[in-house]
Amino acid sequence: MSVTLVGVLLVIVSSVIEGFGQVCLKQSSIASTGKYRWIVLGVSLFIFEALFYTGALQRLDISTAYPLGALSFVSVTLFSRWMLNETVDRGRWIGLTLIVCGAALVVAQP
Amino acid sequence: MDKHRGSKRTLVIGLVLAVVFDTAGQLLWKFIAETLPSTAALWPTVDAMLRQPLILVLVGIFLCQLMNWLKVLEHADLSYAQPITSLSYVSVCAFSAHLFGEHIGPAKAAGILCIFSGVWLVSQSKPLGDSGSRK
Repeated sequence: MSVTLVGVLLVIVSSVIEGFGQVCLKQSSIASTGKYRWIVLGVSLFIFEALFYTGALQRLDISTAYPLGALSFVSVTLFSRWMLNETVDRGRWIGLTLIVCGAALVVAQP
Repeated sequence: MDKHRGSKRTLVIGLVLAVVFDTAGQLLWKFIAETLPSTAALWPTVDAMLRQPLILVLVGIFLCQLMNWLKVLEHADLSYAQPITSLSYVSVCAFSAHLFGEHIGPAKAAGILCIFSGVWLVSQSKPLGDSGSRK
């Protein structure tokens, strides 16, 4: 497996972890009890994500790794819809599609 | 009315700060990653990170980002606020060319433009949806 491919996979994994971590932080702002539990869980996930992302930064340019992190929009939106019942309109879905296409273009010329 | 305007101003300031913290943090993170030994093993990487003094500055930036972010989330839905902060994708890439001499080819530039357009579309919604107004 090439160094670039490993770097790309590390960014994808960190993006999924970020999606769940962000939902935990939002939960902390709306939960009536156990706010700090959500914050601790969210921050713990971010530390875990940081290790994956550092590995990616060792293998990829920041101008490749960081835009690829935009894939966290997909995970944030899916988790927000699933766990927070937030509304996602058609415009946002189109935007997410553009972001995924953009990420693919960035990978095409890392 | 004034309360609503004040809340909106707080949200805008919070979102701008989020982009600034994101950009500074990412560039410093890349700089630190460059100083780490090239190994696939987890512990030597973590150990080298903890011995790097700049990691304290990075943690400081992320703590500021976290405090600011929690404040932003009090005023907006996560699926509205989070995409807006991705304006830092453009700023990070612009600075990466200057600071690290990274090459931004046509496909990558088109990809970043595509992401930016996606962010613009994603951001065209009100700050609080049904879930937010329930609190």
